[in-house]
Amino acid sequence: MRSRNKLTLFGVVIVGLLGLAALFAPLIAPYDPASIDIESALLGPSSQHIFGTDYLGRDVFSRMVYGSRISLSIGFIAVGIAVCIGIVIGSIAGYYGGKTDTVLMRFVDIMLCFPSFFLILAVVAVLEPNITNIMIVIGITSWMGVARLIRAEILSLKEREFILAARAIGASDLRIIVFHLIPNAIAPVLVSAVLGVAAAVLVESALSFLGLGVQPPTPSWGNILMEGKASLGVCWWLMLFPGLAIFITVLGYNLLGEGLREHFSPHK
Amino acid sequence: MHILKKFIRPLEISAAFFFLVTLSLGCSSYLSGVDYNIDGPPSYGDAIVEASIADATTLIPIVASDSASHSICALVYNGLVKYDKDLNIVGELAEGWDIEEGGLVIVFHLRKDVRWHDGKPFTAEDVKFTYERLIDPKVRTPYGGDFLKIRSLDVLDPYTVKVRYKEPFSPALSSWGMWIMPKHLLEGEDLNTTSYGRRPVGTGPYKFSRWKTGERIDLVSNKDYFDGRPFIDRYIYRIIPDAATMFLELETEGIDMMGLDPLQYRRQTDNRFFKSCYNKFRYPSFGYTYLGYNLLDKKFKDKRVRKALNLAVNKSELIDGVLMGLGEVCTGPFVPESWAYNKDIRPSAYDPKAAEMLLAEAGWIDTDGDGLLDKDGEPFSFTILTNQGNDLRRRAAVIIQHRLSEIGVKVKIKVVEWSVFLTEFINKKRFETILLAWGLGRDPDCYDIWHSSKTRQGEFNFIGYKNNEVDRLLEEGRRVFDQQRRAQIYHKVQKILYEDQPYMFLWVADSLPIVHKRFKNVKPAPAGIGYNFIRWYVPKDQQKYKQ
Repeated sequence: MRSRNKLTLFGVVIVGLLGLAALFAPLIAPYDPASIDIESALLGPSSQHIFGTDYLGRDVFSRMVYGSRISLSIGFIAVGIAVCIGIVIGSIAGYYGGKTDTVLMRFVDIMLCFPSFFLILAVVAVLEPNITNIMIVIGITSWMGVARLIRAEILSLKEREFILAARAIGASDLRIIVFHLIPNAIAPVLVSAVLGVAAAVLVESALSFLGLGVQPPTPSWGNILMEGKASLGVCWWLMLFPGLAIFITVLGYNLLGEGLREHFSPHK
Repeated sequence: MHILKKFIRPLEISAAFFFLVTLSLGCSSYLSGVDYNIDGPPSYGDAIVEASIADATTLIPIVASDSASHSICALVYNGLVKYDKDLNIVGELAEGWDIEEGGLVIVFHLRKDVRWHDGKPFTAEDVKFTYERLIDPKVRTPYGGDFLKIRSLDVLDPYTVKVRYKEPFSPALSSWGMWIMPKHLLEGEDLNTTSYGRRPVGTGPYKFSRWKTGERIDLVSNKDYFDGRPFIDRYIYRIIPDAATMFLELETEGIDMMGLDPLQYRRQTDNRFFKSCYNKFRYPSFGYTYLGYNLLDKKFKDKRVRKALNLAVNKSELIDGVLMGLGEVCTGPFVPESWAYNKDIRPSAYDPKAAEMLLAEAGWIDTDGDGLLDKDGEPFSFTILTNQGNDLRRRAAVIIQHRLSEIGVKVKIKVVEWSVFLTEFINKKRFETILLAWGLGRDPDCYDIWHSSKTRQGEFNFIGYKNNEVDRLLEEGRRVFDQQRRAQIYHKVQKILYEDQPYMFLWVADSLPIVHKRFKNVKPAPAGIGYNFIRWYVPKDQQKYKQ
């Protein structure tokens, strides 16, 4: 149990540090992430550029700090969208049951059948690949898990006494769902949302790596990684640091998510 | 999904990185200590392995339009004429020619000692056959244009061909560098689909041996070649569709020849292994990269705007940043090595202040204080469109975007897959600016790119450029044969184009081939290194591949 807590704490620290870095990016980054200085292109890590410089002489560390803003905000907003859609659909399906439930849950099944990454690729290829579109697209292709969780929770909650009591004193359906059911069903959603951030960061990186994500000159970890791909053998810093950043972020959010799951678990 | 994910998992990336390091230590002959610096007497034998990103499509030379197919066709077939190492036109299948009636008629005298790879003699009938196929509307050839200017082609005797043009046409002679096809094998065949496209028969220094689709194409030397038996016995064309893998193969000496990119040239091949095993070459390529403006767009109609943008982009920064210095500035539609290039035109210096003034003169001023220039309430913003898969162009677009943002012009970058790029954007003229390159022929005729009659869908003047003086000069350039007079004409064309700035001319990149050191007699010249390929050889004691 104790090692579990340590890991969770580790996750909290990582997530916290990344959050701070994203928030205070202008204070932390030593250089302007967009300023081009051809003279100092492709320098290895040194005291001046701790993560080295890229093809255009831009400071990789500064770009990564700013990139963390983009990657994390995409992660959070995409997950926010997914959670909102998931909660609405899941609670309606769970509360009303019957045909409504069947129809909505079959729709969830249909959505789950799509290989979501290719769906995202197709949508981004048709629309402009910009940050807003990417957030929305990731959001609307990843709400199904949340919907199922919420529905399952509500199915069991709605038979409890306190819901019967609320109904007995004449509370409306909307009031019961919003004030009584959702607050009690939110714990597993929180866990899945934290894990979802990690997944969204990965999807954004993958999209940017393929050139269909965040467009230049805006830095994101994925497109820094893509820039470095061509020079894997010599300019290792161009791939190593953004790669590590993605790895650590995903690890941090996963540890935190697992910790939360443990915390909320009734079998504790 | 999982494949894509796999690619970006950081652990696997570092694993791939270590894999690369270990492989590069495993170079066989580097460790075995053969000294490739020693020159030996010419001798027959060995094989050369060249790498290509893409497979050939067809080996019917008049139908093939991609560079992979061309590499093979160039070894299997011959034209009537070719360019020598100094880019002069010399005879190949023709041993001589007479130009008569002020350029209206060319009489070719063909070599009598040429045989097809199957043993049949080469004659004037083959030339006539090739010509007839080139102008046949049923054959999907992109090379018909030059040959449609021919009024008649007559076979005077088996070794003499008389070509009469409708009007004097100066690129005519060089157009006969077109590869000649065997009539006795291809007559009656549908050239678009014939199986000879996969087992060609030519007259060239190498004979076709086998083709494994997507893997390799093998050629063997033509021992009876009329210009002398090639020293290297076999030519192997390996298709390796990934640039990083191709470089790994080079590091293990799996391939002998490939084109490097600037980073590989500057950084990755500067170690002891490469110095002892490979020779690197560097010479200007025949083509230029440009930013083209859609002149139908009202933003770019004003010449002052185009000139201002040109002043605001630092070309030497582009060359340093994108090509790592391996290229040069160009100021017009010819390469600096060409006689058509006007050396008196100095590239305008990088001057953002002057650019801002010119833009203000044209009405573009930041009136609302948002940092962007505007005019009639609209901010100055446009999109640079370029094709996917070309890192250099994408990087150039980022530098241009940065420099233009400094003078208050907002630039977006859009990268599109190649076939979509051509069909949806270029052909339909749905772009504001495009970042692209032209590969050029040796003749400076650029009628197709700049003449105002060439703006229809699918034609090359897709930016909609129209200048009566340029039209007139381009027409004249096609009628005049004297090189000095033509040079004057094209110098004028270049001067007007640089003044008009329909393109922002960016750079001429260097070709950066690398060849294994065991190959001797590789001598770079204005024409590159391939011109004397059949005279390359490997001394007996350094030969790697036995029969």
